[in-house]
Amino acid sequence: MNLGKAFYTVRVFAFTNTRRFFRDRTAIFFSVLFPLIFLFVFGGIFGNSSNNAKFHIALINDSQSAFAKSFAKELKDSKTLNVDDAIKTFSQAKESMGRGQLDATITLPKDFGTVKPGTAYPSGEVQIQYTQNNSTAGTTLGSIMQGILKNINAGITKAPEPFKVSTTQIKEKSLTSFDYTFSGLLGFSLMGLGIFGPINVFPELKKQGILRRYSTTPLRVWQYFTSMAISQTIVGLVSIVIMFVVAVAVFHLNLIGNIAELGLVIIMGIVTILGIGLAIGGWASNERQAAPISNIVVFPMMFLSGTFFPRFLMPDWLQNISSFLPLTPIIDSIRLIATEGKHLIDLGPQLGLIVLWAIVIYFIAFRVFRWE
Amino acid sequence: MSSIVQVRDLVKTYDNKNVVDGISFDVKKGEIFGILGPNGAGKTTTLEMIESLRPIDGGKVVVDGINVADDPHKIKYLIGVQPQSPAFQDKTKLTEVIDLFAAAYGERVNPKEFLDDVQLGEKANAYVESLSGGQKQRLSIAAALVHSPKVFFMDEPTTGLDPQARRNLWDLVKQVRDKGVTVIMTTHYMDEAEILCDRIAVMDNGKIVALDTPKALIKALLGRGFTKAQHVEQANLEDVFIDLTGKALRD
Repeated sequence: MNLGKAFYTVRVFAFTNTRRFFRDRTAIFFSVLFPLIFLFVFGGIFGNSSNNAKFHIALINDSQSAFAKSFAKELKDSKTLNVDDAIKTFSQAKESMGRGQLDATITLPKDFGTVKPGTAYPSGEVQIQYTQNNSTAGTTLGSIMQGILKNINAGITKAPEPFKVSTTQIKEKSLTSFDYTFSGLLGFSLMGLGIFGPINVFPELKKQGILRRYSTTPLRVWQYFTSMAISQTIVGLVSIVIMFVVAVAVFHLNLIGNIAELGLVIIMGIVTILGIGLAIGGWASNERQAAPISNIVVFPMMFLSGTFFPRFLMPDWLQNISSFLPLTPIIDSIRLIATEGKHLIDLGPQLGLIVLWAIVIYFIAFRVFRWE
Repeated sequence: MSSIVQVRDLVKTYDNKNVVDGISFDVKKGEIFGILGPNGAGKTTTLEMIESLRPIDGGKVVVDGINVADDPHKIKYLIGVQPQSPAFQDKTKLTEVIDLFAAAYGERVNPKEFLDDVQLGEKANAYVESLSGGQKQRLSIAAALVHSPKVFFMDEPTTGLDPQARRNLWDLVKQVRDKGVTVIMTTHYMDEAEILCDRIAVMDNGKIVALDTPKALIKALLGRGFTKAQHVEQANLEDVFIDLTGKALRD
């Protein structure tokens, strides 16, 4: 067969398929909007938590002194403290701490900030109360208060300070949990597109005899697969670009990697994962055959490849096993390039694993494909 | 006239039973050849073996000088296939369907021309899901002819169509034949076979029990002393229906 003609066939099938996709509202919902909804849900949960960790505290000010008032205001304005204004009494605070809603309670006693007889300046004691489960927060808050009071003391006594501690935030950002969540969501979106798409569509095409009709033409399986891969890649890139735009604009995703390298890895991911869908959908004669196999394949990847929670939270043995699943190197490479700024050259093992899986998956897909 | 399809001792076996049991026949170039028979007689299986869709278990089939078993891929360029119930992926425009099928053969065509041939020119930019049963059949015929095949296969093409659509399809099939394409079709309708087919093979239990022109078959039966129990009217209920509702297509 003439190679130019063969690829003309692939091109027409690919572009017709792509146009069909963008005319189909249900398909757009499931492959573009559905992952976006997940992005908003998970982004909302993990978006801000680790970046600016704040202590949730109640502030009970029993003192009337001007000093206590300005001190209370300083605490409320503090970046590290989140003061719950609704809580006015210690019993309320205690209940709230018991439920785990508060990390600690800060009490300014009645005589706080008053000028005691025989002294020339205000004095007092800041009291921090915390529950057993919150001892870390309690101790940290203790140090924070020490620091604040030390500054105030120095201002009053004007005594020189021989030793000091200084803290500076370095420019370098560390990975936030959103960075992990996001690459996992991309993995989820790849599975939706590459696996759930074909396993839903193929049995229907077989039932209606559409694939059988193609088999009466000279159309080859590789031409059909290639055209599917091209159209799914186009659709996948559109969906993933939208996700990146939302992640950067709304959730401040730290996108520092090279876009071309990122694109290449994403395309490799789409094509590899699509192979799984082509293998299952191409093999199954009907939905009843496709569903159990796809669940066996999809669920382990969904939970073990870092789709919904990062793999570093897993025990070592599980991390070792899950690192060999096809989706894992894809999610890892996307994250390493996008948020850690790594290059293709640093990702030898991951890319090697993706290519290996792609070869295995497509070998199987070609062997088991049936037109009817 | 020379024969374009030669079938010799063709056999298909399922579960130790010969569903096609050593049949032989020739189809002449440019004729409409009908295969009749009750369900399970082996009509569709026979077609599928000639079309190279099913492996041949015994005997051989030659289409336009090419042995089907030797080069099934080459056969696909020579034949056009109309399935029993044509289906297309939805959200596809009619022009795109024609483009797709032409592309499957590596060819570019003007889709409008092919759609006009089957009176679907006006629907060129509609989606396939808006078509009626008869229109889908016509689109399917157009799609099967994009690569100018030498042999055109139709499997029960008029099942489920209304009388107007059936008549229209008969005209189309004749047009196809008049362009020099050989047509091989199966049907359950005897009137259809009588009107359309130049020659008919009647199959039963995997064997051909009769093969001749419709006229000769009827003559042979009458020659054996057959008479109908009833007096035959000069018109039947379908003639009444067509007279009342006209021949114009409804879809």
